[in-house]
Amino acid sequence: MGNIIEADSLTKSFESSRRVVDGASFSVGAGEVFSLLGPNGAGKTTTIRMLTTLTAITEGTAIIAGHDVNKDPKAVREAIGVVPQEVTLDNELKGIENLLLTAKLQHVPDSEAKTRSMELLRLVELDEFAGKRVGTYSGGMKRRLQLVAALVHQPKILFLDEPTVGLDIQTRTKIWDYIGQLNEEQGVTIFMTTHYLEEADQLSDVVAIMDHGTVKVAGTPKELKASLHGDVLTLTVEGGREDLTIFLKSIPGVIEVTRTDDTYRLKLPKVEAALPQIVTSIASRGLTITETSFSKPTLDQVFLEVTGRSLRDAEEGNGHSDVYADVHGRETR
Amino acid sequence: MIAESFTLGKRALTKWTRNPFAVIVTSIQALFWLALFGSSFNPANALASSAGSLGPLQQAFGGASNYITFLTPGVISIVALTGMSFMGVDLVFDRINGYMDVLRAFPIPRTSIYFGGVIQNVAKGMVAAPITFALALLVPNGLHLAPGFGVLNLVGVFAVVALLTTVFATFFTGIAISVKSTDTFFAAVNFLTFPFMFTSSAFFPLSFFPDWLKPVAQANPITLASDAMRLLIVNSNLGTSQVLALGGDLAGLALFGVIFATAGILMARNALKAR
Repeated sequence: MGNIIEADSLTKSFESSRRVVDGASFSVGAGEVFSLLGPNGAGKTTTIRMLTTLTAITEGTAIIAGHDVNKDPKAVREAIGVVPQEVTLDNELKGIENLLLTAKLQHVPDSEAKTRSMELLRLVELDEFAGKRVGTYSGGMKRRLQLVAALVHQPKILFLDEPTVGLDIQTRTKIWDYIGQLNEEQGVTIFMTTHYLEEADQLSDVVAIMDHGTVKVAGTPKELKASLHGDVLTLTVEGGREDLTIFLKSIPGVIEVTRTDDTYRLKLPKVEAALPQIVTSIASRGLTITETSFSKPTLDQVFLEVTGRSLRDAEEGNGHSDVYADVHGRETR
Repeated sequence: MIAESFTLGKRALTKWTRNPFAVIVTSIQALFWLALFGSSFNPANALASSAGSLGPLQQAFGGASNYITFLTPGVISIVALTGMSFMGVDLVFDRINGYMDVLRAFPIPRTSIYFGGVIQNVAKGMVAAPITFALALLVPNGLHLAPGFGVLNLVGVFAVVALLTTVFATFFTGIAISVKSTDTFFAAVNFLTFPFMFTSSAFFPLSFFPDWLKPVAQANPITLASDAMRLLIVNSNLGTSQVLALGGDLAGLALFGVIFATAGILMARNALKAR
C-alpha cells in the first residue's frame, strides 16, 4: 500500500516565538493507525493542525491523499475527518441531529445521511441514545459520538487529537476498542496524537516519537522496542559468595550482566527463551534463586533512549498539565 | 455556499429555541424601555398635560400623539442593536470551544460560516420586534396607531426592522467571529452600543440635538430606522414628501448594510484563514 500522508520537513514558527514544529518528516501508509507520541508541548497539536489545513505551514510540505496541503486545502478537507481535543458537539441537539448536521455540511446526500448515521451510532453503541439530547450524555458517550461524527462523510483519513485525554481508564480502553474497530471495519487511516504510552503501544501500527518539534524515530511499536536489544531479567541468588557474572554471561543468549551484591541484571533478546536454561544452570551449581523479575522493553524506554529523558519526566519538566496544554494550544491558534 | 449558510443558521436557531433564555431577556428589556424609560422620561410629564398628550410638542415628535408612540420605533431599533450582544456571543463560544475549527476543516466555503452567523443573528434579532410592538400596545397610555393603520403599514414596519437588524448583524457577526474571548466581545459591543444609541433619534427628535451633533445623529442607522417606522405608524397614507423621506431612510440603511457587510466579511475572512 502506498503512503496516504507524506510530511517533509514540516516547520511552524509563530511570530516572535520559537519553532513549535521544527522540520518534522514522516509518512503514513494507507489503512494504518499512526500515532504521534510525545510530551505536551512537543508540537503534536500544531502538526495535526497543519495537516488538517487549520494552521498555515511555515516551511516544508505535506501531501494528504495525493493533495498538497499548501496548494489545494479544499481537496484535503474533502478527504479528511477531524476529531479535535475538545468536545465540540451541540448539547441542545440530539445525538442523531449532531450527525445529520455534519452530514449536511459534508455534502452527504440526504438519502444516505440517516442510514449512515444510524450505522455509526450502532458501531459505538449509541443507537439507543440517538434521540436523546447530547447534553444528557456522559463524557465518554460524547467522545464516542464525536468520533463517529467525523466519519459520516466516509473520509479516507481520520485525524484524532489526543482522543482520550482526561478520560478515566475504563472509558479510555473502550475508546481504544472503537478506534481499532473503525480502522478495521471502515478501512479508514487513522492519524492520532497522544502522550499516553499505552495508547500508542496498543493501538498503533506505527509510532513516531516527537520531541521539541521534530520526529526523533518512527516504526512499529515492536521494532522500536526491539531496537533496545532485549528484555531485562533480574535474579537474586542465595548462597555461595562466588561471582556468577562470567558464568551467567556464558549462557547462550545473554548479552550483558551487571551485579549488585547477590542480584544480577541480565540483558537478553527474549527472556522466555533463555529462562529455563538459566534456572537449571544455577540450580546445577547448588544455588537457589530467591527472587526473579523481568521487564519487556517499553516505549517509555525507547523515548528515554532517543530523547535522553523519560516521557513522564518530559511532561513534568515542561510543567505542562493537560489544562496548561489546552490553554497553550488555544493561544497559538 | 448559500445551502451551507442556511444549514449553519438553522443549527444556531434550533439550539436557541431549545434554550429560550435569550428570547425572554430580550422581551423583558423591551418592557423596561417602554414602561420605565417611557414613564420617567416622558416629556408630557413636564407639560402636565391631560392623558399624557404631547400637545404643542406633537409636531416636534414627528406627529406622535403621545411619547410611547414616538418611543416604540426607537425601542424596537435599540433592542435590535443590544440584542446583537447576546445573539452574537454564540459565535464567540463556537470559536472558544473549538467548533469553529471543526467547520474550518470542512470542505465548505469559509464565508458560509460568516453568512450562517448573519442569518442566525437576523432571525434571533427579529423575534424581539413583534414582542416589543405588542407590549407597546398593551402598556397604559401606549402606542397609538394612526387611524387606518393597515397590513401594509405593519409589513412596512417589520421590513424596516429586518433591514436594520441585517445592517447590525453583518457588522456584529464579523466582530463575533474575530474576537477570541467573550470579554473582548462584550467590551467591543458595549463600546459601540452607546454611541449608536445616544446619537440617535430613538428617544428624542433630532430637533432637540445641538447643531454640531445633528449631522452625526442624522446619519445613524438607528435614526434612519426609527424615523422610517414613525412615518409608517403615525400616518396611514404617506404624502410625496413623506415617501421621499422614507425612501431616503431606507437608502441610507442600505448603504450602511453595504459598508458593514464589507467590513464584516473582511473581518471574518481574516479571522478564519489559516495562519
